[in-house]
Amino acid sequence: MSHNRTYTPGTVLVLVGTKRGLFLLTSKDRETWEVESTTLKGHRVFYSILDQRGGHRLFATDNGDFFGTFVRYSDDFGQTWQEPEQGIQFPENSQQKLENIWVIESGRPNEPGTIYAGVDPASLWVSTDGGQHWELNTGLANHPTRERWGPGAGGLCLHTIIVDPTNTSRMWVGISAVGCMRTDDGGQSWVFANKNTRADFLPEKYPEFGQCIHRLVQHPSRPDVLYQQNHCGIYKSLNAGEDWIDIQQNLPSEFGFPIALDAHHPDTVYVIVEDPNGRNNVSEQFTVYRTDNGGEHWQPLTEGLPAGPGVRLGVLRHGMCSDGKDPCGVYVGTNTGQLFATNNGGDTWRLIADFLPPIYSVTATVLV
Amino acid sequence: MNLPAAIPTATVILPHVLRAKIGNRKSVTVAGSTIREIIDALEHDFPGLRFNLCHETGELRPFVNIFLDREDIRYLQGLDTPVHTGTTIHILQSVAGG
Repeated sequence: MSHNRTYTPGTVLVLVGTKRGLFLLTSKDRETWEVESTTLKGHRVFYSILDQRGGHRLFATDNGDFFGTFVRYSDDFGQTWQEPEQGIQFPENSQQKLENIWVIESGRPNEPGTIYAGVDPASLWVSTDGGQHWELNTGLANHPTRERWGPGAGGLCLHTIIVDPTNTSRMWVGISAVGCMRTDDGGQSWVFANKNTRADFLPEKYPEFGQCIHRLVQHPSRPDVLYQQNHCGIYKSLNAGEDWIDIQQNLPSEFGFPIALDAHHPDTVYVIVEDPNGRNNVSEQFTVYRTDNGGEHWQPLTEGLPAGPGVRLGVLRHGMCSDGKDPCGVYVGTNTGQLFATNNGGDTWRLIADFLPPIYSVTATVLV
Repeated sequence: MNLPAAIPTATVILPHVLRAKIGNRKSVTVAGSTIREIIDALEHDFPGLRFNLCHETGELRPFVNIFLDREDIRYLQGLDTPVHTGTTIHILQSVAGG
């Protein structure tokens, strides 16, 4: 890019990871959006975040087709990128090789240098110096059941990381097709947290592990409240994952990938469900579903979203997010390159970008 | 008295996307008796470069091609292919497309 990027506080920044690079969308009013590319082009960017704990550092998971897979970070909003001094690489004697880096998340606000990454083959990595050096979490890597973990269609990927902001010893991860796991001792040991979630594709429908979790989110003001989209249903936990409650209710499919929360209204959740065979909208109307009562009933949101016999849109697991504002902004990126947004909690939607490469992920941050 | 044999040196030409890692040059000269030793030497001089070419397990990445004087090492002896002084080694990415 030819100009130095600066943005005023309050600007909403949406990072869009695609099959062919990372894009930025910015808006001061969530009405008018500017779309910019970054110099991270051509590679598969599964996920990206803006970490504002020590400035404005972008992190992106850069999954190259030829010369390897890397975490990269940028302190100038994507114009130049750095590579870690010690990146994510398995020990040579482990017989494991890095396939893809699926997700990267910031640590707690009082741990400004801590960053986590989840990869395929399923493992959790941590940096405590802002992304320059990475270490394998051995508690998870050496889990007693590790040899019995099997991949889903996307690989044996650790795709979701949740750091409990109120408990420095507690985290959750989501692994396909292993399920939800939790640590209560800072990552030294991990337990399964899959009770009452189904695995219809296994002989035992409610196993201890083996569930194909698709996405997991935590409510920011009620840390024991979790929601997950699963290969076999949509679930809520009120006790940090000790057990789960099926909240599929009136949704037209039990199959979908993304899930997002309204940070200001703990019972408001957004999901997109799909035809499990076509992996796109169930009917001819592309629809986002919202519950305002913690999953007792789901309302279809369609105003401004496309419909018709030629509408077949898919949304991947990281393809939907919210922005933390009130009213809630929600962003939905499709695997055919459209980005839809609402600035009123989902009542109406607009197409804010089109013709992008297939969208893998969206994350939204209000700049401080 | 037998003198130790000199280690062969070779010119390694890298693809554009990796040239930033060798100081934005097109090629470097390194020493090694096999392709594996050439990669070791590249890693020594330019830390991190081996991971671009090989998995952690040591095997060559599937879409990285190494040519020894125009011969693909996969059809020679792979990473154990001997290198002789004056050899030119091309490192290229596989053709991508239909």
